[in-house]
Amino acid sequence: MTSLQVFIQQLANGLTLGSIYALIALGYTMVYGVIQLINFAHGEVFMVGAYATLMLVLLISPLGLPWWVALVVCALGAALVCGALGGLAEQFAYRPIRSAPRLNALITAIGLSFFLQNALMLIFGATDRQFPSVIPFVRWNVGGITLTLMQVIVWASSAALMAGLQALVMRTKLGKAMRATAQDRTACALLGIPVDRVIRLTFVIGSMLAAVGGMLFGMNYGTINFHDGYLTGMKAFTAAVLGGIGNIPGAMVGGLVLGLLEGLGAGYLSSQWKNVFTFLILVALLLFKPTGLLGERVAERA
Amino acid sequence: MRLRAGLFLACLAALPLAAGCGGKSEPVIKIGFSGPLTGDQAPLGEDMMHGAQLAIDQANARGEVIPGFKLQLAAMDDQRSPTQAVTVAKKLVSDPDIVAVIGHLNSNCTMPASAVYHQARILNISPASSNPQISRQGFDTFYRTSATDDMQGLGAANFAYNDLGARRVFILDDMTTYGRGFSTEVEGHLKRMGAEVIGHEGINQGDKDFVPLLTKIKSQNPDLLFFAGMFPEGALLIKQRSDIGLPANFMGGDGLFDPALIELAGGAPAEGAHLTTITTDISQIPTAKAFLEAYEARYGPVGAYSAYAYEAANIVIWAIQQAAKKDRAAVLAAMKEFKDFPGIFGPANFDQKGDPIGREIGIFTVENGKFKFVKTAAAH
Amino acid sequence: MDSRGLRARTRRWIGLGAVALFVPIIHPNAYHLDVLTSALLYALLALGLNLIVGLTGLLHLGYAAFFAIGAYTYGLLNIHLHCPFWIGLIPAAIVSGLFGAALGMPALRVRGDYLAIVTLGFGEIVRIVLTNLDQVTGGPNGLLGIDHPKFWLPGRGFFDFSVESAPYYYLVLVAVGITAWLCSRLSRSRIGRAWVAIREDELAASCSGIPVLDLKLLAQGCGGAIAGVAGAIFASKQGSITPDSFDFILSVMVLAMVVLGGMGSIRGAIVGALILGTLPEWLRGFDQYRMLIFGLAMMVIIRLRPQGIFGAFQASRRKPATAKEPHARAA
Repeated sequence: MTSLQVFIQQLANGLTLGSIYALIALGYTMVYGVIQLINFAHGEVFMVGAYATLMLVLLISPLGLPWWVALVVCALGAALVCGALGGLAEQFAYRPIRSAPRLNALITAIGLSFFLQNALMLIFGATDRQFPSVIPFVRWNVGGITLTLMQVIVWASSAALMAGLQALVMRTKLGKAMRATAQDRTACALLGIPVDRVIRLTFVIGSMLAAVGGMLFGMNYGTINFHDGYLTGMKAFTAAVLGGIGNIPGAMVGGLVLGLLEGLGAGYLSSQWKNVFTFLILVALLLFKPTGLLGERVAERA
Repeated sequence: MRLRAGLFLACLAALPLAAGCGGKSEPVIKIGFSGPLTGDQAPLGEDMMHGAQLAIDQANARGEVIPGFKLQLAAMDDQRSPTQAVTVAKKLVSDPDIVAVIGHLNSNCTMPASAVYHQARILNISPASSNPQISRQGFDTFYRTSATDDMQGLGAANFAYNDLGARRVFILDDMTTYGRGFSTEVEGHLKRMGAEVIGHEGINQGDKDFVPLLTKIKSQNPDLLFFAGMFPEGALLIKQRSDIGLPANFMGGDGLFDPALIELAGGAPAEGAHLTTITTDISQIPTAKAFLEAYEARYGPVGAYSAYAYEAANIVIWAIQQAAKKDRAAVLAAMKEFKDFPGIFGPANFDQKGDPIGREIGIFTVENGKFKFVKTAAAH
Repeated sequence: MDSRGLRARTRRWIGLGAVALFVPIIHPNAYHLDVLTSALLYALLALGLNLIVGLTGLLHLGYAAFFAIGAYTYGLLNIHLHCPFWIGLIPAAIVSGLFGAALGMPALRVRGDYLAIVTLGFGEIVRIVLTNLDQVTGGPNGLLGIDHPKFWLPGRGFFDFSVESAPYYYLVLVAVGITAWLCSRLSRSRIGRAWVAIREDELAASCSGIPVLDLKLLAQGCGGAIAGVAGAIFASKQGSITPDSFDFILSVMVLAMVVLGGMGSIRGAIVGALILGTLPEWLRGFDQYRMLIFGLAMMVIIRLRPQGIFGAFQASRRKPATAKEPHARAA
């Protein structure tokens, strides 16, 4: 391999990880956008998605469906489970304290995160679980660069979901209501926008995206563990801030950039220093552009 | 409000008092145990606990070890956290019924906890902690049944250099006390033998994506990838190495010696991987046959450290028998007479520091989805 | 509040402190004392973080890093220079405080949740650097053989704390007492009132001539220094320290203690730490379900007392009208 080929290979590697980060980061950024909450439990919702997919895969594998049908079934099933979980969490955990000081919601989110993480451990065990991929292993060699079908599916499905979300937020009535709620909740309520329902749907949609992220994560790496949500969630949150929290294209860009930084960090510097490298870039970026890559200056209303 | 706060504080202060009562001496002798019983390492900790439990139950079934007393295991969870390990150690030594402690699993837990046991003058045998530094603290209360990393490192390097013919080696470790200690030993021995170590990097426990790292390693053409760490990361490295088509051999240590390694790696990619263990193939040892049968009948397949915990518990029981009374000092003193104990790995002996003597390093490979014993590696 | 009420309150705290002094005598159980000592160490951390988060209103997610820096500063000085514990406390506090202030620098530009992520990143960086710098910090093995504090008693010679429980209990109790007293003096001083002003409305504060940036740095520096002291005590108590004792979960737990106790309340920080610090031990009987219940308990407590345990009546007394959402706009 020439060094150029290695470099392109590393870009492809980083893009895969970055796509998954981006899907999870969207959930953080959407929720933050509408109610300024860092939803710490989002990483756990992502893990619930991964475990739900695992159960589905085990359930439907005897049916012998074509792999792409199985993939769609898994994605829909996991999205359903996580969407419901996101909605319930909003209704029972976050809504009652919405008027309380902002950090209370953060503590609730942390508590919920502990709860979900340990619930997963109790249900599925503490050991790593093997995650059978429904996607067949196909490897192509394109000009010295190795690509797998799995990678291509990760890229394609996250690109499609992000485009869909962008269309939803910019083109539909619900999207308009979400953007309005993010700007001024009280004014929205006065204008007759069902603010509570909009907020709940925001949680539901964010959680569904995390579910797909969980599915791709499990299938791509082949093993899952109940505490994977913590580290991945933290990275995705970082990605959301990197892109400018509250900003949907920002979360996508942030996720991809973070994935690339990690990939290049491990590939060219050292894997043990890659997180330091990532965070240093993040801090430096925030110093020069305090609202993230695509962040608007709405955050500085103080 | 103030009243409520005051009441709350009073309750908080009173509860430990309430909990502390009833610590009366009963006709039992307890053997303390500590290891990770919750969290991701819980299965390893439970395997250890089962080994100790089996030994104690067998001893009780044989009759009273000391007339009038039954043996009991008092197990506590250290959550694989060094801070928790100290808390647990203090809890164990504060129970007057406990005369010895088996534990802990992780070297970074055993290290601070062993100081607590030393101060309380209570016998402590670790069935798993392999970092050489622990026994160099000079505690006469500390023993271990597992081999140390310097022994395993030499055995691994010998096999890699002489049998696998490794000359260009890339070493990875998981940046834990165990992984870093073991990999440093391997690196030193390989360099001394004349192999080129083209890289030595750490990975983070819990990381999933090693493809960028492996891509880099692939571009440097090593003939062996050595990993000192635990099986979850080991399995991912093996799987992703095969995904990207890295042709180098793969080798690791006893942290990988778990059937889950092969399952998590997806079966086929693990074929041909080698690993060292801190014993020879246990099923080949005639003295271990009875243990294996009893353990498997009760708990299923033996875990990585079950046998060492079983051995440690039997040594503790022996010491209690020698002491012939429920007394920490007497149990500890009995260990001075310890010699050629009929253990499951053959006659057991400790050196001055409390490390086991004459342990052999075994080499295993993955063949047809199972670990297969290859040979014993020289570790002297 | 009037000075009479103040004195009555001070008296009550001295009374509680006196009760606390007798715990090891009434109940000399090493394990329970150790749990209480850990909880008090948490209280020390919560007091420090309370200055940053509670008073000044800067969301901080990497506080464990200062705890680590304090612990390693004392550990390294002790191992290489045989610096005794009591002297080592000072550099531990200074170094952590300087790091705190240095980390406050980005606060000059970065606000709200962006600052939170900078602190989170800093926490991770410190932990990874401690793990990776094998030559200096011992890497994942950490520092071993750190001396326990020694105490010179007239006529009795040196008394070594060793791995006993009671001496550390007293040591941490005294440290919490002094820190709580200092914090309460500080919070009622001009500086403390300026911090609260920044928390409530940064723009208004700077318009009233408060040097906002300097005071933010000062809050972070003071908070860092307190964590440094806690770290040195922790290192001397454990005798060995490893980087994984200072993870993100610790930062989150201390933050939860501050919020649970009531933002900005000194008593709150202490009580919050005692509750969350001992709760996992109470729940030990629940075995596997322990952390599950712990998570639920956090949610329930914050639901039942949204202002924190001691937050309500302080907050309502100070600002009856805007008590609802003090931070939404500060972001």
